[in-house]
Amino acid sequence: MSETAQARAAIYGLLGRVFSAKPSCELLKGLKDKQMLDALAAFEVVLEPDFIAGEEKQQAGELAAEYTRLFLGPGPHIAPYESVFIPGEGEESPRLWGEATREVAKFFEEAGLELGEGETPDHISLEFGAIAVLAQEEAEKRESGDSEEADRLREMQLRFCSEHPARWVPELSRAVADSTRSGFYRSMVLLAENVVRMHCGGK
Amino acid sequence: MRSISRRDFLKLGAASAAVLAVESQFNVIAYAAEQLIEGGRSVNRTSGLPRSFLSSTCMQCPASCGITGYVEESRLVKIGGNTKHLSNQGALCGRGQAGINAIYDPERLLSPMKRVGPRGSDSWEHISWDQALEEVGDALSSLKSRDPRELVFLTQELDDDYLGQRFTYAFGSPNAIGSTGDFDANKLVADELTWGVAGDMPDVSNSKYIIVFGANPLESNPQYVGIARRLVEGIRDNQAKVVVFDTRLTNTSALSNELHYANPGTMGLVILALANVIMQEGLYKRSFIENWTNVTPEQLAQHLAEYTPERAEAETGVPAVVIRTVATEFASTEPATTFTDKMLSNHASGVQNERAAMLLSIITGNIDNHGGLCMPRVQELAQPEPVPPTPEPSALSNPPEFPLASEQVIAGTFAQIRNRAQNVGVLISHNGDPAYSNPDLGLVEDVLKDEALIPYHVAVTPFLTETAALADIILPETTYLEDSDIIVSPSPELVPYVSLRQPVVQPLKETRSFFSIASDLALRVKGGMEQYFDFKRVDGYLSARIANIAGLQKAGGLNYLKQHGVWYDPKSQPDYQAFRNNGFNTPSGRLEVSSERIAALGSPALPTYEPVTFMNQLREQDFVLTIFDTAIQSDWKTGNCMWLDEVLHRNPAWMNPVTAEELGVEDGDEIKLTRPNNVGEAKARSVTSTVYLTEGIHPRVIAMANGVGHKAFGRIAQAESIPYREPPKILQDPNTEMIWWGHEEPGGNGVNPKQIVPIALDPIGGGEAWGDMVVTVAKAKE
Repeated sequence: MSETAQARAAIYGLLGRVFSAKPSCELLKGLKDKQMLDALAAFEVVLEPDFIAGEEKQQAGELAAEYTRLFLGPGPHIAPYESVFIPGEGEESPRLWGEATREVAKFFEEAGLELGEGETPDHISLEFGAIAVLAQEEAEKRESGDSEEADRLREMQLRFCSEHPARWVPELSRAVADSTRSGFYRSMVLLAENVVRMHCGGK
Repeated sequence: MRSISRRDFLKLGAASAAVLAVESQFNVIAYAAEQLIEGGRSVNRTSGLPRSFLSSTCMQCPASCGITGYVEESRLVKIGGNTKHLSNQGALCGRGQAGINAIYDPERLLSPMKRVGPRGSDSWEHISWDQALEEVGDALSSLKSRDPRELVFLTQELDDDYLGQRFTYAFGSPNAIGSTGDFDANKLVADELTWGVAGDMPDVSNSKYIIVFGANPLESNPQYVGIARRLVEGIRDNQAKVVVFDTRLTNTSALSNELHYANPGTMGLVILALANVIMQEGLYKRSFIENWTNVTPEQLAQHLAEYTPERAEAETGVPAVVIRTVATEFASTEPATTFTDKMLSNHASGVQNERAAMLLSIITGNIDNHGGLCMPRVQELAQPEPVPPTPEPSALSNPPEFPLASEQVIAGTFAQIRNRAQNVGVLISHNGDPAYSNPDLGLVEDVLKDEALIPYHVAVTPFLTETAALADIILPETTYLEDSDIIVSPSPELVPYVSLRQPVVQPLKETRSFFSIASDLALRVKGGMEQYFDFKRVDGYLSARIANIAGLQKAGGLNYLKQHGVWYDPKSQPDYQAFRNNGFNTPSGRLEVSSERIAALGSPALPTYEPVTFMNQLREQDFVLTIFDTAIQSDWKTGNCMWLDEVLHRNPAWMNPVTAEELGVEDGDEIKLTRPNNVGEAKARSVTSTVYLTEGIHPRVIAMANGVGHKAFGRIAQAESIPYREPPKILQDPNTEMIWWGHEEPGGNGVNPKQIVPIALDPIGGGEAWGDMVVTVAKAKE
């Protein structure tokens, strides 16, 4: 079953990439690939014909601005951190580095994932990235025949997905869909939502 | 959404992988390297070396925080906090992180050594372990057949040295002695007398009102990080009000709502005046006092009546209106707690002061409740069978003048040895540095040098401390990062836990763990003591220590601890106010507000203020000396940790500008602090320091930091650079060339003010009265 883990690693890796920074031309080109478009359709994600036909360099520029406006500011924006979407017990208002952040940080530590300096662990791209990394490792363990460790890693991803991304990705998806001016990010959050739902059932 | 098949999933996976593969700057692994860490496992970001990590327990201070050691190619490269640990919850202070300096101290003792010149001359000869153990074993064997009670084992704190105590008892001596004077002895005695157990644990994260008397948990506390973070939680999340009474602007008072300076040594009066207001205003909990103490409210009110806020204002300097307001707020806010520490208990009236502070929580019913002053919760450990019998007490282990002292009279140990209250045949010093930490260091040094008083001194130590420098033979011990033990400590979460110390790296060079040294010696000495060290390696010992903890056994026992570093019952909640079912462990079964045991010593049974005499006699040039702990140095223990020494290496004397002006002293001036004739005896009479002017100190107090001013412990502790590539190469560290502070004047590494402090003990508790020390200040150079 290393195939499934490999696929999971790639999908979450892609999602992590999409939400980590502005898209590159290569990323956009890859998403428009026929094989990808078919695969996305199964997840009810349909990229607009205009987008598919468009020129990547120009799109990358536009989407860079949109990514910044959506997720970074300046001004009102969506802070794609779990603790901002899910306030912890006793936290009256959303905050950065809240209870959820501490929980995710703890999970990372337990899983042996070490954060880069200055990273906040419950950023959506890091939550997806963590699953990607663990899935990749699961695939390697499976290939080397260590199925016990592979099973443990699979369980770990499942638990993390249901305790974290599944809690807030649907809400993030709605928030992005409501405020984005581009079909691209609307499609990407829908993909994220459907992937997470398929992985662990979601809410 | 229609259901997605596995086939769909694999298809998207393949497509995603294709995208990731073509995007040059990005694939799963590159992603991890960029945002997480390569391969998802811990990897050094610059060298790419894989890291392994292991949970253990910090021993840089008594807090015993959970740590994670990160190891690359068998070298410890980083120490972090263990997120699973109940006390520190992943946070770790600078001292903990600097443990790396301790293990890789270039001047660590790595081979057994034997003295060749006179004691203290620093001439040593390397010997083999076989020879070292044979010599020590022979000395112990002949002592055992002559008089085993003449073995004296000195350690910092007995609670942290079960193996040392077991060794001493197995040998047949009662003289396993906590050796250092830097300790909360009087507070422990006050707690024990009042509610039947030594120690306390204010439930600060759940409290609404906290009065701090002479404590500074944000910089120094026996549970340091665990209690500091909970105090901050109490302030931040629970909006607790914090009122501090102290003589110095500490970090804790900086975070408080109010700081009130009380005249040095008068805190007991402030507290009793607060209690008096609560009684007179009828703000006390009548039923609690009637049901759970051995006094009536009327008796108490009558006893306290003399401590009026006006009298307190006159003697302590704290305004009467402050006392009335704080008393009313404290009694009418629920839950509330007091928080005390050394600056309240390290006085000749330390036990009385502490009992007065407990009284505030008692009369307001804030005892062992959610958010109140709670009793300590410590996981009990098993004593491995067979258990050596406890030998008959000696004058050293249980000094008859201090029948109530719960620990030995630590600060007085060396005076007793000098007075031959106990003859010494062999002295083993371990995990402590009394020649740095105790009062009257000149006396300690004289005793340690005197071959008639101490014929044979074995130092078991990783470092050449002030104490080890006066040994006859040195057995190089591992640091806490290379050995194992089971550690328990009062839980700030009020749920007991058990923590494992395990080697995060293998012992360096020839060093051996204390377990291995003690077992080896026991097997050589024999005479029956070998049966108490018949363990199947260290794991056998560790397992036996936790054999009584059913929940841990079920979770996997020692293996669980090796994996996680700590265990506590995940379902357990704080068992507040268990006394409602079981009563208190005191002779009356109640809170002993009135103590017959204290009365039997000729002191007042009820908490009483004993006026300090010296305050009225202070001349313009006289000050009360306060020696305070910081968050940087941990008394003797961290002396050679370079990172810490860089932050704190000097201890200029804090002085208030108002009094400094009267004396004509300016910031940076060199001054001499001299002990007046009427303030006890100590070999050293004066020390020199520089003035640090700050309004953050009471005008009649002069304060110096503890933890610097070493006379031994290697060159780092003494602020000397160590040239890189100097042997022993095993430990070379290029950073040790960069010790720049040695050139600061005077004496780049500060001074140790303890040398001028005489041995002065609370007659009830036996703890050192560090806080009652008067010094005369004069400019060193006119």
